Amino acid sequence: MATVTPDVSATPESAPDKSAPKRPYPGALVVVEGTDGSGKSTQLYLLKRWLEIGGYRIHFTEWNSSPLVKSATRRGKQRRLLTAVTFSLLHAADFADRCERQVLPLLHGGYLVLADRYIYTAFARDAARGCSPKWLRNLYSFAPVPDLTFYFRAPLDVAVNRIVAGRPKLKYYEAGMDLGISLDRQESFRMFQERILNNYDQMVETDHFVLMDGTLPVNRLQKQMRELVRERVDLAQFAPKKKKRDETK
Amino acid sequence: MASRFYGIPLPGVNLEELSGPLIVLEGSDGSGRSTQVTLLTEWLESEGFAVQTMGLRRSLLVAQDIDGLLEENAVTRMTLALMYGTDFYDQLERRILPALQSGLVVLADRYIFTLIARAAVRGIGRDYLHGLYEMALRPNLTFWLNVRPEVAFDREFKKAHSISYWESGRDMSLSNDLFQSFIRYQSMIKREFEYLSNRHGFIEVDGEGSVSEVNGMLRKQIAAHLGIRNTHYRPSNALAQLWR
Repeated sequence: MATVTPDVSATPESAPDKSAPKRPYPGALVVVEGTDGSGKSTQLYLLKRWLEIGGYRIHFTEWNSSPLVKSATRRGKQRRLLTAVTFSLLHAADFADRCERQVLPLLHGGYLVLADRYIYTAFARDAARGCSPKWLRNLYSFAPVPDLTFYFRAPLDVAVNRIVAGRPKLKYYEAGMDLGISLDRQESFRMFQERILNNYDQMVETDHFVLMDGTLPVNRLQKQMRELVRERVDLAQFAPKKKKRDETK
Repeated sequence: MASRFYGIPLPGVNLEELSGPLIVLEGSDGSGRSTQVTLLTEWLESEGFAVQTMGLRRSLLVAQDIDGLLEENAVTRMTLALMYGTDFYDQLERRILPALQSGLVVLADRYIFTLIARAAVRGIGRDYLHGLYEMALRPNLTFWLNVRPEVAFDREFKKAHSISYWESGRDMSLSNDLFQSFIRYQSMIKREFEYLSNRHGFIEVDGEGSVSEVNGMLRKQIAAHLGIRNTHYRPSNALAQLWR
């Protein structure tokens, strides 16, 4: 892909956005959500490249990446010790580590933080495993609310086929085998993903998701995504400092 | 039957199958809790009750990971609180519920109350913490072995000849003097316990009494709850050294 420099001058020159909720930090948080195979990671990667190439102050973070709880997660998965509740708690502990040591300090430090999956992944997936939605909401109530949440939605068959085609064998928890809904891994995966998809759909309104059609060509989706980011995030704030900008207007 | 959970039940648990009682001992470091659990276990077994114990950092899933986090001192309060939560629910789901289903007596050497108190003094909201533990089982009896922080300090120092980082709350930067830090931290925990005691109906026991006195009081209450007539007990030779 050719270098695309974000057009900073296109941001509305004044207009302090009154619709945006007040945050206790100068940074901004953009997250992508969606089922496996919805194309969200590809899209966030392209968004990240666009901003990186433009020299913006960004940080990229993804679900399940904290080294602190990695060994516990691995042990739990290998030995199949995890229940719906402990699976959820372990991911919450992992998320808390990232949140307290990366996301929050970076938001306070004025970064644009990009997150591949966020708390809505837990809401959709852990509720599909049988956790109470109310309990989950409380569990993650310490997390900062995103400025922009993209929900990449692909129909069940499309998403499932993308995953199944690329993988010889689905993993136990990935396929939702712990739910005991089917002994066949592919069938179990499909039913699990269906529940997750339904849970995501229910959050579109309540959590102000921006719905993205995951069946569109990659470059078209990316164009939409960049436009939305330009519209909804004050990119100038994260732009490379050329010279001291006039802060008043 | 009153609900055995505080809020919503754990997914997939049939309450009718839980026949055994859950008895909790809470109290600070140096309150004599663990000694009492050891003695009560022997007494109950001699009376023909099978006992399962639980405590903090004893889960198969994450106990060793928490040990690692505590050694590093790099962990933040929310992560630690949630790792302890994982440790708690892993024990509850995979050890305690099966034990109660089989009619065992469960003795808990600390329970959610210590976890709530420790997190609350570090600034995590009480409502948040009660929500986190709403799927915990409500104990049948909760004893609070209450000791003054100064007494706890003496006992802990005699035991280990030093005061640990976490017991003195050094992550909270209360004082550079470890004695002061310990006293202030344990006083904060104690205040949190007073609040929890009112909210959850603890049976307060003077933990500064002798081991045999405290044990006698605990036996009396537990015997009444379980319908044990004979509360007489002398520890076996193996445990005689605990009997002071």
